[in-house]
Amino acid sequence: MLLTLIIVLPFIGSVCAALLPTNARNAEAWLAGAVAVTCALLVGSQYFAVAGGGVVRTAWAWLPQAGLDVYFRMDAYAWLFALLVSFIGALVVLYARYYMSPEDPVPRFFSFLLAFMGAMLGTILSGNLIQLVVFWELTSLTSFMLIGYWYHLADARRGARMALIVTVGGGFCLLLGMLLLGEIVGSYDLDRVLAAGDAIRAHAWYGPMLVLIVVGVITKSAQFPFHFWLPHAMTAPTPVSAYLHSAAMVKAGVFLLARFWPALHGTGLWFWLICTAGATSLLLGAFSALFQRDMKGVLAYSTISHLGLITLLLGMDTELALVAAVFHMLNHATFKASLFMATGIVDHETGTRDLKRLSGLRHAMPITASIAAVAAGAMAGVPLLNGFLSKEMFFEESIVAGSASEVRFALPLIATLWGIFSVAYSARFIHQVFFGPPARDLPRPPHEPTRGMIVPSALLVVACLLVGVVPAVTLGPLLKEAAFSLLGPDLPEYELAVWHGVSTPFVMSLVALGGGMAFYAFLVKRGLAMMPAPLLSRLDARRAFDLVNVAIVRGADKAAHAIFSSRLQPQLLLIVASALLAAAVALQDTVFVGNAPLTPPDPLFVLLWIGGAACALGAAQQAKFHRFAALTMLGGAGLVTCLTFAWFSAPDLALTQISVEVVTVTLLLLGLRWLPPRILSDDERRRTARARLRRARDLALAVAAGTGFAAITFALLTRPPMLGLASFFVEHALEHGGGRNVVNVILVDFRGFDTLGEITVLGIVALVVYALLRRFRPAPESVDVPDAQREDEAREAAFGAPRDLLPQGYMKVPAVLARLLLPIAAFISFYFLLRGHNAPGGGFVGGLVMATGFIVQYMVGGTIWVESRLKIHPQLWVALGLLAAVGAGMGAWLSSRPFLTAVAADVRLPFVGGVHVSSVLLFDFGVYMLVIGATVLMLVALAHQSLRSPRKRAALDGLTEPLEEPDEALR
Amino acid sequence: MNALIMHLPILPIVVPLVAGAVLMLLAEEHRAWRLTIAFSSLVVQLAVAVALLYLSTDAVPDIWSEGVGVYALGAWPTPFGILLVVDRLSALMLTLTAIVSLAGLVYAMAGWERPPQPLHSLYQLLMMGLNGAFLTGDLFNLFVFFEVLLAASYGLLLRGAGVQRVRNALHYIAVNLVASLFFLIGVALIYGTLGTLNMADLLGKVALLAPPERALFDTGAAILGIAFLVKAGSWPLNFWLPGSYSVALPPVAAVFAMLTKVGVYALLRIGTLLGEDEAAAAILGPILFYFGFATLLAGTAGMLATQHLRRLVSYSVIVSSGLLLATLGVGSEALTPAALFYFATSVLTTCAFFMVTGMTDRTRIAADSAAVPSADAAAAVVPPTPAYVAFGVREPQPYDTSEEVGAAIPAAMAFLGLMFVCCVLLVAGLPPLPSFVAKFALLQAAIHSAPEVHVPAEAWALVVGILATGFAQIIALTRIGVRLFWAGTGRRTPRLRVLEAAPVAVVVVLCLALSAMSGTAMRFFEAAAQSLHAPEVYTRIVLSAPGADQPSGGERR
Amino acid sequence: MEIVYALAIGVLAGAGVWLLLRPRTFQVIIGLSLLSYATNLFIFGMGRLTLHRPPIIDEEGAIDAALYADPVPQALVLTAIVIGFATTALFLVVLIALRGLSGTDHVDGRERD
Repeated sequence: MLLTLIIVLPFIGSVCAALLPTNARNAEAWLAGAVAVTCALLVGSQYFAVAGGGVVRTAWAWLPQAGLDVYFRMDAYAWLFALLVSFIGALVVLYARYYMSPEDPVPRFFSFLLAFMGAMLGTILSGNLIQLVVFWELTSLTSFMLIGYWYHLADARRGARMALIVTVGGGFCLLLGMLLLGEIVGSYDLDRVLAAGDAIRAHAWYGPMLVLIVVGVITKSAQFPFHFWLPHAMTAPTPVSAYLHSAAMVKAGVFLLARFWPALHGTGLWFWLICTAGATSLLLGAFSALFQRDMKGVLAYSTISHLGLITLLLGMDTELALVAAVFHMLNHATFKASLFMATGIVDHETGTRDLKRLSGLRHAMPITASIAAVAAGAMAGVPLLNGFLSKEMFFEESIVAGSASEVRFALPLIATLWGIFSVAYSARFIHQVFFGPPARDLPRPPHEPTRGMIVPSALLVVACLLVGVVPAVTLGPLLKEAAFSLLGPDLPEYELAVWHGVSTPFVMSLVALGGGMAFYAFLVKRGLAMMPAPLLSRLDARRAFDLVNVAIVRGADKAAHAIFSSRLQPQLLLIVASALLAAAVALQDTVFVGNAPLTPPDPLFVLLWIGGAACALGAAQQAKFHRFAALTMLGGAGLVTCLTFAWFSAPDLALTQISVEVVTVTLLLLGLRWLPPRILSDDERRRTARARLRRARDLALAVAAGTGFAAITFALLTRPPMLGLASFFVEHALEHGGGRNVVNVILVDFRGFDTLGEITVLGIVALVVYALLRRFRPAPESVDVPDAQREDEAREAAFGAPRDLLPQGYMKVPAVLARLLLPIAAFISFYFLLRGHNAPGGGFVGGLVMATGFIVQYMVGGTIWVESRLKIHPQLWVALGLLAAVGAGMGAWLSSRPFLTAVAADVRLPFVGGVHVSSVLLFDFGVYMLVIGATVLMLVALAHQSLRSPRKRAALDGLTEPLEEPDEALR
Repeated sequence: MNALIMHLPILPIVVPLVAGAVLMLLAEEHRAWRLTIAFSSLVVQLAVAVALLYLSTDAVPDIWSEGVGVYALGAWPTPFGILLVVDRLSALMLTLTAIVSLAGLVYAMAGWERPPQPLHSLYQLLMMGLNGAFLTGDLFNLFVFFEVLLAASYGLLLRGAGVQRVRNALHYIAVNLVASLFFLIGVALIYGTLGTLNMADLLGKVALLAPPERALFDTGAAILGIAFLVKAGSWPLNFWLPGSYSVALPPVAAVFAMLTKVGVYALLRIGTLLGEDEAAAAILGPILFYFGFATLLAGTAGMLATQHLRRLVSYSVIVSSGLLLATLGVGSEALTPAALFYFATSVLTTCAFFMVTGMTDRTRIAADSAAVPSADAAAAVVPPTPAYVAFGVREPQPYDTSEEVGAAIPAAMAFLGLMFVCCVLLVAGLPPLPSFVAKFALLQAAIHSAPEVHVPAEAWALVVGILATGFAQIIALTRIGVRLFWAGTGRRTPRLRVLEAAPVAVVVVLCLALSAMSGTAMRFFEAAAQSLHAPEVYTRIVLSAPGADQPSGGERR
Repeated sequence: MEIVYALAIGVLAGAGVWLLLRPRTFQVIIGLSLLSYATNLFIFGMGRLTLHRPPIIDEEGAIDAALYADPVPQALVLTAIVIGFATTALFLVVLIALRGLSGTDHVDGRERD
C-alpha cells in the first residue's frame, strides 16, 4: 500500500504542478520539494522492513490473463536506489528553484521532473517484468520532455529526439527480451524469475533473450555503441542533467543489469557481451572527456566512462564485483550530481561553460571552487573520497576476474589506463576553470551564487567525504543489506576500509594518479588539451544521426513511391489481377462441365448475342473517340441483356432493366456535353512502345477475365439448380405473401429488408448528386452553349420573357404531346405499382416510368419552360418515400411482430381488380415515391447545369457572383 | 419493456434511417433542430449498442441463450428470411461505431457541419449502413448494407470540393464499385453452389459439397475475400486509402476510422463461420498473413515517407489493419482476443487522431505546409483560395474566430500538445495507453503459441513486425510532432472550441479507462474470440431461431 | 444455350475490364456498366436457365417450385440493378465535377506525362 503511495505521489504532484500558474516558481518548488522529501521519508521508513533480506510487496491484478499484474516489490537493493533517487530529487528541486530564470515556464519543468521521478521509482520498485518495461518507457518519454525543455533551441530538439529514439528503441528490445524471459520462466513475477536462474541459462532462448535485454540496458545507460545520445542530451537544463544523467535515468540500465545478475550471469556470452560494451565505453568515454570544450561535455563523457566501469564490473561476474558495482553506482551518483550542479553554478554566474574562456574562477567563487575540486577528486579517485574506495575494488576485481580468463592481463591494463585518463580529465576540469589567471572576457562578472544553489551540491560533497573517510559507519551497512538482498547467503566477506595496506590495487591507483597528472601536464605543454579528440572526433554522432534520419526518409520515400501509386489505373489493374489470381488458385481442381441436361441452342438467341457481343466490343473500341457511338452500343448491349432476361422467363427483370436502361442512357447523354472534345489523331500519333506494351497487358488481362468468367458461368449452368430457398418462396408466396408474382413478393416481403437498403442507397446518391452539382462549374472550353440552346436564347431575346413561351418551331408539336403524355405516364406508373404484387411491375418500375415522363418534359420542353411550370420537390419525395417504407416496416411493431412483418387485407378496386392492400403495398409505395424523387432529382440537377454554364465566365473574371444561386426546380 | 428488448436489434438500423429521412425534410435554416435530431439519434444508438453489449455477455440468459440474439425480419422462418444476429463481436462493433460517430458529430458541431453540404442525413445513413453490416446474418443483405455505407461515405468524402478531393473521391468510388462487383460475383457463386444466403447456413451446407462444386464454392469465397481485402485497405489493394482519407474533413475522417474495419470484420465473421477447416482457407487462408504483413510494411514505409500529418494518420490506419490481417492470418486462436483488443483501441486511436489533425492544421503557419518538401505532392489538402471562391466551398475558414460556436478553451496549445502526445503513444503502442496493453497481449500470445501454429516463422515475423513498426512509427511521429509543436517559429495558437476539444479528450479518457480496465476488457474479448472459434454454437442458435418455430403465416395476419 | 450465355457474359466482362483499365473517365464508366451487365447476367444464371416458366403463380395448378424459374436470383438481380444504376449515376456526376475542376477527363485529373 505504502509502496503504491511512493509511486503515485509524484504523479499526483506532477498533475498539480502542471495546473499552477506559469510564474509560480516558489509554489512549484515547494510542491515538488515536499513530494520528493515525502517520498524519501516514506522510503526511509521502510528500512527495518527490508533489512536482513526482508521484502515489502503490494500487488493488484491488471491483466491477469496475460500474467501482467501491478506488483510493487521493495528489497534492500531497491530501497537503497529509491532512497537515492528521491533524495537527490529533492536536492535537484531546491537547486532548480534558483537555477531556472523567471521567464522560464516552470510548471512544465517541475511537472515533468516529478513525473520522471515517479517513473524512475516505478522502475526501481517493479516486481513484474512487463510493468518494469512500462515505467522504463515512461522514463524515456519524460526525459524526452525534459531534455527538450528549451525547445526553441534546435540542438535541444535534436538532442531530445535522439535520446528518445535510442532509448525507446532499446525499450522495445527490452520488452521483447522480457517477454522471452517471462515465457522461459512461465511468469513475469520477478521473484520467480530470480529463483529460476539455472533453468534460464539452460534454455534455448537464453542467447537472444540476453542480447535483447543487454541492448535495452546499454541504450539506457549510454554504453558503447549507443553512447552517443548522452553528450547531446546535455542541452537539457543543468538540473535535469544533474538528476537524469548522473543519478537517475542512466543508472536505470545498470540497475536492471545488477537486478537480474543472479538470474542471468555466469555464461561466456554474458561475460563477453557485457565486458566488451563496458570496457569500450570505459576507455572511449574517459579518453574523449579529455578533449571536450564544454564543461558538461566533459561530465557527459566521464559519465559514459564511469557507467562503463559499472557495466564492466557487472560483466566480470564475481560476487564481489557486483558489490563493487552497486557501491560505485551510489558514489558516482553523489559526486557527478554535485559536479553537474557546480557546472550549473559556473554557467549561471558567468554565462558560459566554455573551458577555453573560463579561467581562474577560484578568486571570484572560492566556495564553488572547493566544492567542485572535492567532487572532481572523488571522480578521479583520490584517497579519502568515496570514488577512491570503489575504484580500489574495481582494480582488485579486474585482477581477480581477469586471472581466470583469457584476458588475464588486459583487464588490469585497461583499468589502470582508465585510471590515468580519469585523473587527467578531472585535473583538467578543475585546473582550467578555477586556476590560472582570472578570465577577462566573461559574459557576466563572476560571483558566488545564492545559498540555494550552493547547499545541494555542498551536501553531496559532504556525503562524498563521509563515505570516503568512514565508509564502514556510513554507507557500509546499507550496501551490505543491498548486496545481501541481491546475492543472499553467498554474499562474500569483504570490508570497506580506506587502507588495505600496500596491495596491487593500491599500486595501480598510485600509477593512475601520477600518470594522470603527468599525462595532463604533457597535454597542456603540447597545447593538445583544447584540440578536438584525435581519431574519435571524426565520428560525430549528431551528423551520423541526422544522416541516418535523412536516409530513412529518403529510402521510405522511394519505397512508398514504388509500392503506392496515386494513379487509378494501376490500382484497378492490381485489384482485377489479384481477383483473377485468387479465383485461378481456388479453381485448380474443378470440372467445368457439369452433368445437368443442356437446353438446345436457339439460333435466334445466338443471333441476338452475336449482336450483343458486337455492341460490347464496339463500345470498348469506340469509347475513347466516339463517345456517342459507344453510348449507343452500350444501350444495344443493355437491350440484348434485357431481352435475355425476358427470354429466360424473368419478365420483372426485363421490365426493370429496360426502364433503368432508358434513364441511365439519358443521364449519360446529359453528361456527354461536359466532356472535352477529342479528335482521333491527337494521341494515336504519339503512342510510345511502352503504351503499346501497356495496352497489350490490359488486353491480355481482359481476355483472361472474360474467359474465366465464362468458364465459371458455364460450370455452374451445367449443374443441377439449388432450389433450397426457391421452393419455400414459391410455396408460400401466395398463401403468406399474398401475391402471385413471387419475385415481387420476395422484394417487398420475404427480403423486403434488402429493398429498404437498396432504396436508401438510391436516396443517398440522389442527395449527393444534388449537393455536388449545386457547386459544379463546367470547364472553360465546354461553356459555350450548344447550337440548339443558342437558338433558344436567340428566340428568348426576340420574344422577351421566356417563361411564358412554349418552344417554337420544330419543337412545338412534340412539346404539346409531351405535356399530354405526363398524366398518361402517371397513370401507367400507378398501374404498374398496384399490379406489381401479382404480375410483372412493382413500385420500382412504376417510379421509373413516372420519372421517364418527367424526363420527356425536359427533353422537348426545355429546362426553363419546365421549371417555370412544375415545381417538383424531389428531396421531399425521397424523404417521404423512405419514411413510408420504414413506417410500413414499423407498423408490425404495433402487433408486436418483428420489423417488416406484413399486415394486410384484400380489397377490390375498380379497373385494377383484386388488390392485396397491406403494409407491403405501403412499402412498395414508398419505393415508388423514392424512385421518382431520386431519379428526377438527378436528372433535374444534371439538366439544370445547362442554365448555369454561361455564368461561368462571370465566376472566373472578378469572382463577384453569389456562391449559391437558387435552384428553382429543387426548392 | 420486453417488447423493447425484443426489438432492440433492429433499432440501430431503423433509428438512423428515420433520423436521416427527417433530416432530409428539415430545411437547413433550422440548425438547432437538425443538431438535436442528429445528436439524439446517435445517443439512442449508443444506448442501444451498450444494452446489446450487455445482453451479448450472456448476462441475461433467459432472453438470449449463450449471448447470441436473433431477430427474424418479417418473422420468416430462419434460412429463408433475413436475420439480424447479435453476438459479442457485432455488439462490440456497434458500440465502437456509436462512440466514434458521437465524437465525430460533437466535433463537427464546432462549425464543420455548415451548409451547403447535407452532412447530417448522410452521417445518419452512414451509421445505418455500418450498423446493418455488423448486424446482418445474410450474405446478400451484407452486400446491400455495404452499399449503403459506401454511398454515404462517397457523399461525406465529397464535402467541400477542391480538385484533390473530387479526384480522390473518384478513385475511391471507382475502386469500391469494382469491389462491389466482386462482392456480387462471390455471393452469386456461393448461392449457386450452396443454394443459401444465410451465413449460419453456410457451414453445414459446405460440408456436403463434392470436390468439383467445392472448388467453385472456394472460388466464390476467394473473390469475396478479395472484395473484403479491398475494403479493409490491404496492400496492394489500398492505394485509394491515403488519398481519400487525408482529404476528408476531420470529423468525417474520424468516422471513417470504422470503415476499413468493416472489411476486417467481414473477413473475421465469414472466415470463422466457414469453420477452421480449409473452407476458411479460401477466404482467411494462409495468403491472408502475407497480405497483412505486406500491408504492415507498406503502411510503415508510407508513414516514414510522408511529412503531412493527415496523410501520416491515414497510413497509420493501413498499418493497423495490416497488423490485424497478419494476426488473423497466423491462424492461431490464441491470438484472436488480443487482436480484438487491438481492433478496439485502433478504432479509438484513429478517431482521436483525425480529430486532432483538424485542430493542428490551424496552428500551421501558411508557409509551413508548403515549405516542407512533402514526400507526396498529392497530399496538398487545401486548394488555392480563388478556387475556393469559384467553387463556392463552405469550409470553416481555418483562422476565422468570428463564427464562434461555444467557448474557446484555455491553454489551447498545451491541450493540443498533450492530445497529440497521447495519439502518438496510442499509435506506436507505448505505455500507459491501451494499445501498449493490446500489443503486449498480441506479442505474448504470438510468442506463446509460436511452437504450435502452422508456420512458427509467421508468428515470429509478426512479433518482430509489431515491434519494428512501432519503432518506425515513433521515428515518423516524433519527426512530425517536433516540427509541428516545437520547431515552428511564429506559429499561431489556435482557438479551440470546447465542442472540438471535448470529444477528443473524452476519447482519450476512454482509452485510459480501457487500459486501466484491461483485465475486464480482455475477459470480454476472450469470450468473443471463443464464440467466434466455435461457429457451431452460433449456427445452432441461429438456425433454431424463434423465426423458425413459429408457424409462419396463419396468425401472421 | 448455356454455352452462348456463358460466352455472352465472357465478352461483356472482357470488354468491361478492358475499358476499366483505360485512362479516360468516360471509358471507365462505360466499362463499369458493361461489367455490371455481366455480373447481373451471372447472378441471374445462378438460377440456371429456364424457358417459359416465369415465377408468377397461376390461380389453379399445384404450387411446385420445380414448375417455375428460381425467383431468388431474379430478386437479387433486381436489387443489384437498382444499386448499380444509383452508383453509375453518382460516378457520372463525380466525373463531370472532376472534369469541371481539373479541365481534363483523365481519371487522375491530370494528363499523364
